[in-house]
Amino acid sequence: MNQESSLDRIRHSIVMGHVDENDEGFDGTMEGEPGTVDLVREALDVDVNPQEILNIFNESMEEVGKLFESGKYLLPDMLASAECVGNAMDILEPHLVGKQENQKGKFLIATVKGDLHDIGKNIVSTILKGAGYQVKDLGIDVSVNDIVAAVKEFKPDFLGLSALLTTTMTEMEAVIKKLKEAGINDVKVLIGGAPTSEEFALKIGADGYCRDALHAVAKLEQMQDALSGR
Amino acid sequence: MKLKHQPLEMMTTKEKERIHASSCFVLDQAGLRVKNARIIDALVACGAIYENGRISVPQSMVENALESVPGTIRFRAPDPDRSFTVDAAGKDVFLGTGGQALYVLRSNRGVWTRQPAGCRDLEEIVSLCQRLSKVDFITRPMECDVALDRMDEEKARIFASNTTKPMNLANLIDPGKLSKVIEIVGDPAYLSFIVCLVTSPLAVDDTAADKLLAISGQGIPVCISSCSQAGTTAPLSEVGEMIQLNAEVLFGIVLVQAVNPGAPVLYRGIPITADLLSDGSPRWCQPESIRRVALAAEMCRYYGVPCCGTAGVSDEPVPSVQAVSEKAVSLTYQVAAGAQYINSAFGMLDRIMSVAPEQYVIDNMIAALVESELGKAQAFDERGVADAAVAAAKEAMVRLGVEVDELMDRELRSRVAFVNTRKEEYSKESMDSQQTFICSAVESPSSSLVFMKGARKGLRAGWLYIGKRIEAPLDISGLESKQELA
Repeated sequence: MNQESSLDRIRHSIVMGHVDENDEGFDGTMEGEPGTVDLVREALDVDVNPQEILNIFNESMEEVGKLFESGKYLLPDMLASAECVGNAMDILEPHLVGKQENQKGKFLIATVKGDLHDIGKNIVSTILKGAGYQVKDLGIDVSVNDIVAAVKEFKPDFLGLSALLTTTMTEMEAVIKKLKEAGINDVKVLIGGAPTSEEFALKIGADGYCRDALHAVAKLEQMQDALSGR
Repeated sequence: MKLKHQPLEMMTTKEKERIHASSCFVLDQAGLRVKNARIIDALVACGAIYENGRISVPQSMVENALESVPGTIRFRAPDPDRSFTVDAAGKDVFLGTGGQALYVLRSNRGVWTRQPAGCRDLEEIVSLCQRLSKVDFITRPMECDVALDRMDEEKARIFASNTTKPMNLANLIDPGKLSKVIEIVGDPAYLSFIVCLVTSPLAVDDTAADKLLAISGQGIPVCISSCSQAGTTAPLSEVGEMIQLNAEVLFGIVLVQAVNPGAPVLYRGIPITADLLSDGSPRWCQPESIRRVALAAEMCRYYGVPCCGTAGVSDEPVPSVQAVSEKAVSLTYQVAAGAQYINSAFGMLDRIMSVAPEQYVIDNMIAALVESELGKAQAFDERGVADAAVAAAKEAMVRLGVEVDELMDRELRSRVAFVNTRKEEYSKESMDSQQTFICSAVESPSSSLVFMKGARKGLRAGWLYIGKRIEAPLDISGLESKQELA
């Protein structure tokens, strides 16, 4: 199989949101066929240029973004495509030379202590992975100390905090205070979740509020532009 | 209000038996994720198995628990004339408010502004609900602006000072404060609570479990609540969501009856959908959610357990004609489905985030219209209930200054047709497939992504209603009970 054909198959698989062979894909016809992860492995086995594969990831997600904006794709379709890229990236990354230059930044995310809800967090995490961020997900019900320890270890550019309960959203403020106490000022803190708001973000000293995953992507790009003086 | 006919049935007995069997399969095979040692010990002592952080409950424990649940619950009130009895086998329906909004909407010359809710707002709303004729009990409608360690006592004081109706304080923050709360309201018999024990899919909230046992230990009625969102925290499939939600509520019943046999509990199942057409937010009042919540009430009646229903949580951000239409249809179906104690979400908007005093008055009117229209129905079959829902919605709109046109009528008819229409088979094969899907999803570290990806087929098949918003100016100047706001 030549490089072009291999890349086309990867592109098709990502756009169809076909993660693995157990997945039915966008139109319900792809169960049993090799998924994106398998195709990337195959491509690497036949020495397709990893940088070309990475370019296909970006091009495919741009196409998916357009399909979502046009209304043809819905949230689960976009998530499936983002998951394809996120999973395939884990396989591709060791093969990339000078891999850091393609990464948009490091993003640490957690649902705060006392809160078991993970929908928003998972959507944000998946979409950001698909958009090229290096994402570390600490899971749900994560204590202030564990979040701060993870920030020290992972050294993210951004920290995302999620809460769905009115009784747990106060934990977000505790995290921000603890970060300041620890002298950590170089991580931008973004919050999200149904009871949170722009006003609440301001009140607790967060750097931003994201109403959903796409808003988070836009917000991160804005922040990066501001940081780089663009 | 009293139901004139046998409640609406949208499932056959055989189908309900299948749902029950599949829920028991899920409880036994997947079990629930739990860390609370007290719960684990209590359930293991009764026959459950704890392995790898999950507790599996055999069907025999479910059957035993269902047998020990009291079929009637007396809700007493400071004013004895306001007391009532919920009877799982009866036809009396009692309506109350919904709980835990964060904001109050205030109107200034037709412009709505959203303000954080506080104690004064809570006093105002409880006092307003005391005066509203269709509010039989009051569920705490909003948060207070006090520290969490003072929240329980502050809520109790506001209720004790502003109402003589039965008091549902919604969530208990600190089980250690329960005796103080009882002291403030004067009698535990005035109280009831709601506990969201399980976070979908199938994960026990360990602090909620302590609250549940503290409340039921006092013999205070508690609504065991689970609110799944199909497509994100449960399968998008109606069959799948019913199996999972039913398992989650049954688990709560098993736990309470294992620790406090004979304690009064209500089954509170809220199987709504997630808005996978946009951002994944909950769709509280859309036709497919209205249908599923009615099915949950039907499932509860099958068990003969007192049913805490949910209705009228509009998805609209501020009072509107669309909100009126959503609330009227939702309440009609929930009443007709036979829920006896209904959090009918008076005043609530914005997917439970906000309340508006004016909306309470509007909802009081809607409740009266629903009662009247259901009273005219010849039977609570699908056609009779659909007609009542449309008639209640249209009459509410007329009273709010809307000239109901053919397009509005068509949209309302389209919604009730959707509520009445089954999209999936309730066959054994379908149940088997869904129970397997649930068991595999809960093993995934990102079950919400599994459910979302699994929803693509159902989305293409039209399982989420796509209709038109009903738009018209809302005029509340002529509302008969508007003086209640004074």
